[in-house]
Amino acid sequence: MIRAKGIYFSYTGGQPYILEGLEFYADAGQYVSILGENGSGKSTFAKLVLGLLFPSRGAIESDIGRRAYVPQMNEFADSRFPITVREMMNAYRRLIKVRDRSRTEAALEAVGMLSSEDKLVGSLSGGQRQKVFIARAIMGDPGLLVLDEPSAGVDAGSRRDIYAYLRRLNAEKGMTILSVEHNLEAALRNSTAIYHIENGRGHVCTPEAYEKEYLKLDKGDRP
Amino acid sequence: MIFGYAFFQNALAISLLISVLCPCIGVFLVLRRYAMIGDTLSHASLAGVAAGLLLDISPILGAFAFTAFCGALIEFLRGYFRKYTELILSIVLALGVGVAITIISSGKLHANANSFLFGSVLTVTREDVWTVLGLSLAAVAALIVLYDRLVYIAYDEDAARIAGVRVEAINYAFSVLVAAAIAVSIRIVGVMVIGSMIALPVATAIQLGRGFRLTLLWSVLFSVIDIMAGLFLSYYINVAPGGFTALFSVAALLAVIMGKTIARRLP
Repeated sequence: MIRAKGIYFSYTGGQPYILEGLEFYADAGQYVSILGENGSGKSTFAKLVLGLLFPSRGAIESDIGRRAYVPQMNEFADSRFPITVREMMNAYRRLIKVRDRSRTEAALEAVGMLSSEDKLVGSLSGGQRQKVFIARAIMGDPGLLVLDEPSAGVDAGSRRDIYAYLRRLNAEKGMTILSVEHNLEAALRNSTAIYHIENGRGHVCTPEAYEKEYLKLDKGDRP
Repeated sequence: MIFGYAFFQNALAISLLISVLCPCIGVFLVLRRYAMIGDTLSHASLAGVAAGLLLDISPILGAFAFTAFCGALIEFLRGYFRKYTELILSIVLALGVGVAITIISSGKLHANANSFLFGSVLTVTREDVWTVLGLSLAAVAALIVLYDRLVYIAYDEDAARIAGVRVEAINYAFSVLVAAAIAVSIRIVGVMVIGSMIALPVATAIQLGRGFRLTLLWSVLFSVIDIMAGLFLSYYINVAPGGFTALFSVAALLAVIMGKTIARRLP
């Protein structure tokens, strides 16, 4: 379970708040896509769940266990950082205290990137890099996987692979997934729930209900 | 023979330690875009040297203590002046240079501080060698322990935090390591050149496009070449070693960039 109660957040510590009285609840094992306009606070909410940011007011509770994060590709503009896939994976494995070295290879194999383990991360395409970051995230068998726009800057083929793999993680391993999405089609097709953030607050609905309510309203019926 | 002189043996021992320690620290500074912090702290270290000379304690330990304090101050101010790193560096530089000029110009020093500005081979004592050896061993041991955490803070700070790394505490510890690298270098290369010795061998190694460990090993190799060339040539031409070391590090960087450009154009 993840529960957010009465969350207020601003980067300055006071008004204006990006999130204002936000409430959220998701059961373990759900695949929730977070939707909303640019600047609505989707990534901020994801970082609050991960504990990278702290709410000005309110609290976030979770009993899902280890958390893992796949960052937005734009935050990794530095393609010149000299680190190979294997180095990046092994350093992270040691940080999360997973001693079994074979976990690095198993995670890369799972996303089809084992053959690239000696390449520099910066030399990979957007899609390949995203797969490697997903491999890094799943190495420690997290209970909660948070992704920030997993298909941004990713080619169509890799996009299909990534969403198919995320669906498998969710369905077969029961991993709870929270994915900030700009890709509406992917959100509707893959999620078990949609969380829409607007005016600092959000609400949860099913993908079907979201499609009916919000997409119809977007066509001009919004009051 | 030059190796028969005790002062040169001391200088050689310290140079070897510098050439290993500086790039090991420098790789993290450069990759975090903090190369200018190294430069600022090296200039600020002159205040520690001056204080050491004034109080009749080891100027190397004086430099270490004051530089570690300034490094911690930078970390503290980073939380206060968010996104204004250049301003923080100006503040710390003003503090360091202010203290140094005040002490040096007071005329109360028991020794000449000039050799610490440009580096000197002649003034290195056996006691300096032991001090530098102790600091270097402690710094390298700390680097080995903190290696994964430092790599991840430089590469992906969010991932480091999620993995449970206490980023702020490691940053403070790293400030002490930077101070150690500066303190051990101050005798040979001098305050003016330490910043470039921390950054340039790393900048040269990055051009080779290798992984992290290989980049680190190449940085050490370039650093050894730069510092040794600076040390020997400066002795024979009778100039301060700091200047030649800096010139060699720039030449090595240019040579690698040119070599890369030529290799790219070859059919």
